[in-house]
Amino acid sequence: MKLYRKEGNVLQILSFPHETVEKGDYLLVEDQEAGKALIAQVIDVQFASIPGVLEELLRGLPDGGEVIQGEDFDPLEIAPHITYIQDASLLICKIRATLENENLSPSSSWLPSRSQSTIKKLPIPTLLRLAKVDGKLPIVLGGTKDSSLLTIDAVHLDGKLNIITGKKETGKSHLSKLLMVNLVGYKATVVVFDLNGEYLSLGMTSDGKRNAHYDKIHVLTPSQNFKLALKQLNLHVMLGILIHALHLPGTSAREFRRIWLFLKEKDMLTLHDLGETIRTWNCNQHVRDALSSRFHALINSGFFTDNVAEAALLEDCLFKAKEQGGAILVNLRNTGAIDRQIVVEYVLGKLVELLTSWKLKAAFLFAEEAHLYLRETYWDDIVTRMRHFGIFTTFITNQPDTIRENIYRQADNIFLFNFTNEHDLDVVSRAARVDGETVKSIAHDLPPHYCLTLGKVVKDFPIVVKVKALDVKTMGETRLFFQN
Amino acid sequence: MQTHGLSLNPRPIPLSPKRQATTIAACDTSTIKIGETSTGVLVAIRGANVWRQNKSYRYIRLGPFIFHLTVESKSEVYNALERSCFGTSNDGNHQNISIWQMPMRIAGLLERWLQSMLASMVSNGLILFDGSLTAGAGGVSTRGLKQILVRASENNNTVLAFSKMTNLRADGHIITDVPFELRPPCLLETIGLKTKPPITLLGDVFVAKLTCEDYAFRLDISKDLSLEQKIEAVEKLLGNDVISQSYPETLRLAHILCTFTANEVLAMQHFAVRKYGLKLVNRPDMHKLLFGPFGRGEICS
Repeated sequence: MKLYRKEGNVLQILSFPHETVEKGDYLLVEDQEAGKALIAQVIDVQFASIPGVLEELLRGLPDGGEVIQGEDFDPLEIAPHITYIQDASLLICKIRATLENENLSPSSSWLPSRSQSTIKKLPIPTLLRLAKVDGKLPIVLGGTKDSSLLTIDAVHLDGKLNIITGKKETGKSHLSKLLMVNLVGYKATVVVFDLNGEYLSLGMTSDGKRNAHYDKIHVLTPSQNFKLALKQLNLHVMLGILIHALHLPGTSAREFRRIWLFLKEKDMLTLHDLGETIRTWNCNQHVRDALSSRFHALINSGFFTDNVAEAALLEDCLFKAKEQGGAILVNLRNTGAIDRQIVVEYVLGKLVELLTSWKLKAAFLFAEEAHLYLRETYWDDIVTRMRHFGIFTTFITNQPDTIRENIYRQADNIFLFNFTNEHDLDVVSRAARVDGETVKSIAHDLPPHYCLTLGKVVKDFPIVVKVKALDVKTMGETRLFFQN
Repeated sequence: MQTHGLSLNPRPIPLSPKRQATTIAACDTSTIKIGETSTGVLVAIRGANVWRQNKSYRYIRLGPFIFHLTVESKSEVYNALERSCFGTSNDGNHQNISIWQMPMRIAGLLERWLQSMLASMVSNGLILFDGSLTAGAGGVSTRGLKQILVRASENNNTVLAFSKMTNLRADGHIITDVPFELRPPCLLETIGLKTKPPITLLGDVFVAKLTCEDYAFRLDISKDLSLEQKIEAVEKLLGNDVISQSYPETLRLAHILCTFTANEVLAMQHFAVRKYGLKLVNRPDMHKLLFGPFGRGEICS
């Protein structure tokens, strides 16, 4: 390989056919004299602009578009040299760091010698060692192109905002399961909004047996094993549900507050008494109607009960998880849009309540297709306020434009699977931790189950990894018509 | 060549394509400088024979052959090649031929060998040469060219030689610039062309305009044929080959196939350096060096 050009932080390197370099590979451009080296990542492989190639191709096709038949007598065997020159490629590389005395710095301001520099492939394990991508709480994500393992540190997910995105069936849920299982293994509390019931078998092996995490997985299905008694509810959380999920106007909310305090004082916080009180409460008819309709929405959700014994306590699950680590899977499958919002409002409200009172230290929240249940104001909350409370969110989506731009800007880690749509790649490329060209060029060609890992977990060295297989029962498969 | 008395027969000869199946064969060679060394020049030569049969083209391409020519070795190289191509050599002293002309001479040798191969291998066909049927100068020996034409004739072939450029003038005008008063395809016959020894003309010279486009070429046809046979040969060419811009496709392909492209030059430089450890010298262009932007431009060089 030969250094050809440097423009800004882009290197152009001439590579010859026997040197097999692919997109995503890292190269070390070493200038012995300067005692420094550039670490650059290949983001595109192009044909080198060799003069005369067009003429060469054209003369092979003069006979009405068919290749002209003939024999070449080439006693000096020049043809392989011609092929060698014609097949030379130009590697477009992004400079990621400068290596000097085993130390990495993000600088790309110096120019290595074009004639004296040596260029070689930098094995991923060496890069990871140099970048100190290791740690006390390792999570093996999978294998890299050179068959080494990519191990990240769970610490770099702690307190961070993560995004897992890619088009359908590329392996996003698989990676989120892998992260969840490992976090639970490190005794972390994980809350999952499971939209399609994909994570429900996290405690089972692929052949249906219980795995090591079985006891740490708590599946809560609203209106089945996850119900609430009004007595368990905090007024603040209830108002959140009414205002944000059921869009109760402010005046009516103030009236509801009075009703709630009245019933609480009399220890009459039951569905029946709430309904009766709304019916007989001395207030404006419009307010009564508004309260009455929301009350019936609550009843119809099936999420509320007066039977305290029937009511599962989210708190209990969270406290259990706090002790030994665990995942609380909120199963939102078969839940209507409004009911889903009620449940999410409750869970988030409860989490904030427990975290602000330091009953919980922190929780990792995994939210799949969050735009389907997360209210507008929560997006900003999640990247600012909730983060300080200790809710560290991982968004999982196949529609990257449903996540706001500021989320991408502030994301600490992005796990990017294949996207072919330019618009999708444009959206993801707004992430602050990586340049758009890298995202567009590498993600476009990722095969299924290969993920471009960006951000703090890889110390800002984008690395392509084949996500390792997980022995967990698959759920949430698409139901097919033509299936036996 | 004496062109004082040269004139064109004012009556153009009309042509109509003859579809009678005839093999069309053509050959051409090409040479290129690969680089300079401290003692000489590195050149490459390649030749191609192309023939059209049953409406499809086939080719045999020979080379590239790479030669390192020095002042000391140039005669030896030429004589050795001549011996290997034709079995005999004049063992001439080529010291008066510059090292820069020698590649053309060597390419000429290869071209004559390719022509003799076609003359022997093809029968009842048309053999197209690049250039004229003039011998006795530029390394083309009269005896050699005569032998080729005789062999071609023995195999019932007709040799047609197309020149892309000519200096022949009639009434002060280059013969190919003279307007035709007949719709192509047609030929104009030249009259009164004389040569001075040692130059010999082994063909009769025509101006050929084979398509309606504004192109005309000097066409030499073996002298030993009657005018009717010559016309019939051109008509067979019209009926059996693709003609565009008044130029036959078979000859065009021969030229295209032997021409070197820039990446081939790079590859040959790579080969010479890798295999023989030759050090190529980059000599500065003195025109550009001395005169800067007023030096010889790309077009003139």
